[in-house]
Amino acid sequence: MERRNFLRIMAAGATVIAVNPSLIRGNLYAADGRLYTAYEKAQLVDAAGNPIKASALDSEMTYIFNYPYASTPCMIINLPEPTQQEVQLKSESGEEYVWKSGVGKNRTIVAYSAICPHQLTHPTPNDNFIQYVPKTKPTMAYDNSGIIVCSSHLSAYDAKAGAKNLRGAATQPLAAVVLDVAADDTIWAVGILGSDKFQDYFKSFKPEFKEFYGGIAQAKQLVSISAKTVKMTEYSKDIIQY
Amino acid sequence: MALSRRDAMRFTGLAAITAAASGYAKSDKTAAKSTAKGVLLSPAPIPAAKGQRVVIVGAGASGLTIAKYIKKGNPKVDVVLMDKRSVFMSGFLSNLVATGVLPLEFITHDFLEAARNGNYNFLQATVHDIDRTSKTVFTNEGTVKYDVLVLAPGIDYDYSHWTKGDVELETVLRTKFPAAFIAGSETLSLKSKIENFEGGNFVVTVPGGNYRCLPGPYERSCLIADYFKKNKINGKVLVLDENADITIKAAGFHSAFDNMYKDYITYMPSTTIDSIDPYKQKIVTEFGQEIEFADAALYPRVRGNKLLEIAGVAKDSPANKAEANIDPFTYQVIGDKNVFCTGDVRPMGFSKSANTANTEGKIVAANIVKYLGGQELSRKTWTSPLTVCFSAVSATPDLRAISVHAEYAYNDANKAFAFANAGMNEKWDGSEGIDGGKGLKEWGKGLYRDLFN
Repeated sequence: MERRNFLRIMAAGATVIAVNPSLIRGNLYAADGRLYTAYEKAQLVDAAGNPIKASALDSEMTYIFNYPYASTPCMIINLPEPTQQEVQLKSESGEEYVWKSGVGKNRTIVAYSAICPHQLTHPTPNDNFIQYVPKTKPTMAYDNSGIIVCSSHLSAYDAKAGAKNLRGAATQPLAAVVLDVAADDTIWAVGILGSDKFQDYFKSFKPEFKEFYGGIAQAKQLVSISAKTVKMTEYSKDIIQY
Repeated sequence: MALSRRDAMRFTGLAAITAAASGYAKSDKTAAKSTAKGVLLSPAPIPAAKGQRVVIVGAGASGLTIAKYIKKGNPKVDVVLMDKRSVFMSGFLSNLVATGVLPLEFITHDFLEAARNGNYNFLQATVHDIDRTSKTVFTNEGTVKYDVLVLAPGIDYDYSHWTKGDVELETVLRTKFPAAFIAGSETLSLKSKIENFEGGNFVVTVPGGNYRCLPGPYERSCLIADYFKKNKINGKVLVLDENADITIKAAGFHSAFDNMYKDYITYMPSTTIDSIDPYKQKIVTEFGQEIEFADAALYPRVRGNKLLEIAGVAKDSPANKAEANIDPFTYQVIGDKNVFCTGDVRPMGFSKSANTANTEGKIVAANIVKYLGGQELSRKTWTSPLTVCFSAVSATPDLRAISVHAEYAYNDANKAFAFANAGMNEKWDGSEGIDGGKGLKEWGKGLYRDLFN
């Protein structure tokens, strides 16, 4: 098991705590529990249930998996170049935290919550407005591509820098999914770093949960053991990207 | 405060009642017998302030955002949001409701839900007076004291260009041919006009000045034309535009007019209306051209809501009458830092749109929290609101939309704001247009989520 995914969390620039997220359960740090929460480890598997290997991820493709709840979509992307490291980020309420880096052999693999913190736009089986825009495809949201864009209100996030805000109305980064890549190249989601919008999300989409998950209770179930991970084009009927 | 009582007396209409009730009246004892005064001058039926109180007048996109985000920024601040309406109906997406593309429920929302989720008090009340000396808002439900007041009442219509002060004419125009840019009954009127239209000219006017929802009249023209086309109605939309050209997304709208609605839309730029006869249903332009119409949505110029004049904070802006007299960077009234004016009453030339008000509201809310904490606001605490807006150009067979997005930057040379980092998507005929249609709905849903959840 790699231990590269070691992260630091800073509470408003003061206390620095170092932990390995794959070793812990529950809230990491009570006073700022919103900054990092460890959830049950889940292995990313394909539609047939076979483990996905980090080296097998298509470059620049947005894959979707639901984590840490049955209804909360996340994206995992294998970027064309190594990510930045030790990126200092700030939540909308001003809490600072550090996103360590991408994972995988070349530090190119990143995963983020796909719920836009601006107004909660997220992929559904019907459509997907928020995804990675490959380098060769222009976007209206920013000067260059190779970034994550929510095409609902054109919030742009830096995929290689912890989903730091580049432009648009969002006032904090996408929450990051903390990943572990094991020695056998399998990928595991272990927790959520940053300020997530899960509670607002649960409040806002009750009819949708009924349609897609059977109800709010099912939507709130925690993911256990494995998380089905598919290309965004398989997850949603329509991909909308500006 | 002695001053405040005296000050309250200067307000016309209320003066007699105020004086009598406060016991300062030296005459007019009969007013004291009025049963109205007790209600009007007693505190409104809401809990006493627990901490510093911010009163927000107007629960549109601006007021709803500010109420929610002040509580998020500092839950200890006591927030009262008031509106005269009992139900929220949005202006954004209302053209789609008027033309039957979306159901009325889509744009209709619940103030109480917003108050529950946002942990603030909602007071359904009409404000009839504001005394900034005693920091009191007078409503039909009673009085409410504030530490900070936010005025976000939105626009009023300015019919003076057409009516030259003829109130009867204005009333007839408001009733028979409402503009439908203040959502509510006007929206329902427009919907029924379109549904019941039998044929002939349907006039849509576009005012000058910085009017609410720049693309709105053009979008509406497209959707009405789409409706005529689909329902085989022998009608024509005449777009009488006071401006020299389409004011925003011009290429997209022109191409929609020309390619989809050649037989259904006649666009008439630089058309200033000289007079309107609402009975003969005839418009005369400044060049003497006579235009008859079977029905119309007549959109006059806009001005700041009259509440600004009541509060004594109105000033003509370069574009419109009676907008807010505020510092454009802090939104604070000149000479009274405890009063903020936001949303469509701001005098800066920002787009008067819900998305602008929503992004602006978050900035203002954060600044109000800072201000209550003892910080001074200045140009340094300013950041730009964002305008992102989609406009439908067709609904049949697919909903297609074009869009614009922009920030604002201040130009010190001409002391005005201008678009910055702007972008447009004006292609509607390919997949972009269909994506735009989907984007339009998701854009609206996102706003409702932000305002009410």
